[in-house]
Amino acid sequence: MLKAITLFIVLVIAVPAFALDGTQLLKQIDRNLNPESFEMYRKLINVEPDGKKKEFTLFSVKKGSDKIAALFLEPASEKGRSTLRLGDNMWLYIPNVGKPIRITSLQSVVGGVFNNSDILQLDYAAEYDVEKVDESGGEYLLHLKAKTKTVAYDRLKIWADKNKKLPTKVECLTEAGMLIKTLYFKQVKDFGGGIVRPSYIETDSPLYKGYKSIMIFAKIKKRDFKDEVFTLTFMPNIDSLR
Amino acid sequence: MTVLSGKSKTWILIASALFSAAVFLPQDLHAEEPYTFDLSETEKKPYHFGGYVEAKPVNFWADTNAALYKLKYYNQDVGRTLQEYNFKLQLEGSYEKDITRFYFKTNTDYKNSYQGNDEQSTFYEAYLTLKPSPSMKVDAGKRTFKWGKGYAWNPAAFIDRPKDPEDPEIGLEGFIGLSADYVKSFEGPLKTFAVTPVLIPVTEEINKDFGRKDYLNLAGKIYFLFYDTDIDLIFLTGGSKTTRYGADFSRNVTTNWEVHGEFAYITDYQRTFIDRSGKSYTDEYNAVSYLIGTRYLTTRDTTFIFEYYHNGTGFMENEVKDYFGYIDDGYQTYLNTGNDAALQRAATLTEGNYGRINPMRDYLYLRIAQKEPFDILYFNPAITTILNLNDWSFTLSPEIVYTRITNLELRLKASFIAGSADTEYGEKPNDYRLELRVGYYF
Repeated sequence: MLKAITLFIVLVIAVPAFALDGTQLLKQIDRNLNPESFEMYRKLINVEPDGKKKEFTLFSVKKGSDKIAALFLEPASEKGRSTLRLGDNMWLYIPNVGKPIRITSLQSVVGGVFNNSDILQLDYAAEYDVEKVDESGGEYLLHLKAKTKTVAYDRLKIWADKNKKLPTKVECLTEAGMLIKTLYFKQVKDFGGGIVRPSYIETDSPLYKGYKSIMIFAKIKKRDFKDEVFTLTFMPNIDSLR
Repeated sequence: MTVLSGKSKTWILIASALFSAAVFLPQDLHAEEPYTFDLSETEKKPYHFGGYVEAKPVNFWADTNAALYKLKYYNQDVGRTLQEYNFKLQLEGSYEKDITRFYFKTNTDYKNSYQGNDEQSTFYEAYLTLKPSPSMKVDAGKRTFKWGKGYAWNPAAFIDRPKDPEDPEIGLEGFIGLSADYVKSFEGPLKTFAVTPVLIPVTEEINKDFGRKDYLNLAGKIYFLFYDTDIDLIFLTGGSKTTRYGADFSRNVTTNWEVHGEFAYITDYQRTFIDRSGKSYTDEYNAVSYLIGTRYLTTRDTTFIFEYYHNGTGFMENEVKDYFGYIDDGYQTYLNTGNDAALQRAATLTEGNYGRINPMRDYLYLRIAQKEPFDILYFNPAITTILNLNDWSFTLSPEIVYTRITNLELRLKASFIAGSADTEYGEKPNDYRLELRVGYYF
């Protein structure tokens, strides 16, 4: 009887402790990837099966767990476009159209394998709960489930380096477990200010056989912004932050 | 069966060649390189200069029995097919220093058609911005506002020129005024609050086409992001136009489904119309216009945009029938006597009245766009229809857009314009049109 009670107590204590570890680990991965508020530049490259490329350059700003905005700097056809995400809300501002229009996370403003939620990525812990963490060799494998139906991918599997606590690979899956895309995190680089993270993300998708998209990061640095930067009114003026 | 003239065939060949050349451009122009990020691209300059150049040849297949064909070409023999060559140049630039920024955008349209050459140049926008903080900015000069949430129509866009639902994303000319934006963010269900007051003067020299002259008009918009829903409250008053109030909303229901709506209440709206004999009538009433729409993205990357629009300022079906009947009678009179007075008067009534975009009461808009079918990146076909619910006439426009080459956008678009006699689209001067748009950004 005593053994049964002891086992019960151990289980009751162990389950929440495990869940807490997973969540803490995910939060640690988030902070290792980016400071809570920061600015950065990114280059997006869509590569076709024959090697032809199309490139986009973006300036992005992020604050807290649910605010991020990005401005297209290149090419000329996209220059001045900006995207804003406030939690589950996303907008696209096109200078010619002259007003922000609502977009959805599954659309893609750049074409290719990256969609809007990849470009306007919030903290993983803000959108996902950790269901399970496996350990194998030098890696963790985190099984994540979206907190709400409004998240672009229902499930994620994150492989993370145990020492660096940085992702090496992320699989994005539907609710039924169908693979939508895989992100490969490469080339860990010191950006200064204590930010050491992968500078190169490559993605492919079984939905786009032979195609891949690449995101290269530069000039990531901590920076605070006023909340009003993340509003529709400010979207045409994001360039003034540079 | 339609017989193409030699000129039409030549044009179609040129269009096809241009399109094919772009689609099948030799690959060695895009030879593979290592994936690098040149940081010079991130350096900011205080000034910016860029632009857009466009060539747009259009071929029309005329409907020689249509009332508007008779009105337009009654004294000319233009034939069954018509060509038009359009060129556009837009230049834009900005200069930024501290809290001040100056921005301009010019537009030059050049058209070569059976009527000869026509060139028009103007500033679409030219304004000075003072931005003392992210919460506050003031704009002075000529600019567009683009209020409203509708995709094809914006009944609450009181201080903008009407957009063309056939091409709703095209840039428009603004009005000269003074405006300010104040925005505040919060935690909780109300995330953002913003207020935008605008002053628009109308005199003999400026904003002549806004409305009645010698008035200073005040417009305003209050914006809320409340429970993840965009909400705008809008008004315009001042004398150049009758006082009007508007509201709109937009919300994402799920990750792939958006809904929006727009409402306008226009006080003392005046409408002028004629009966079949040409006798003119004016009525005045408080007009209500509204729009409800949705945007839906399927798992196969097909986007549906659907809108219903009720235009409270529009004409009734019988009023439009009388107008077309008046043109037909005037055309018969012209054929019999050579007197074109009735047609001249009809042309005057058409301008800004019966001739405005979608002049009747109820419309449906549906656009179905497929992103990159068959795994062909940057290739986006779409089909758009606008249906007049009052007379069941419609346009149906399939198109393909190809943007593989950086900064080059190619669009091939056909339009089928159909309807029975005395209907809006049935009486348009053309049955079909085919256009190629080649645009380059620099």
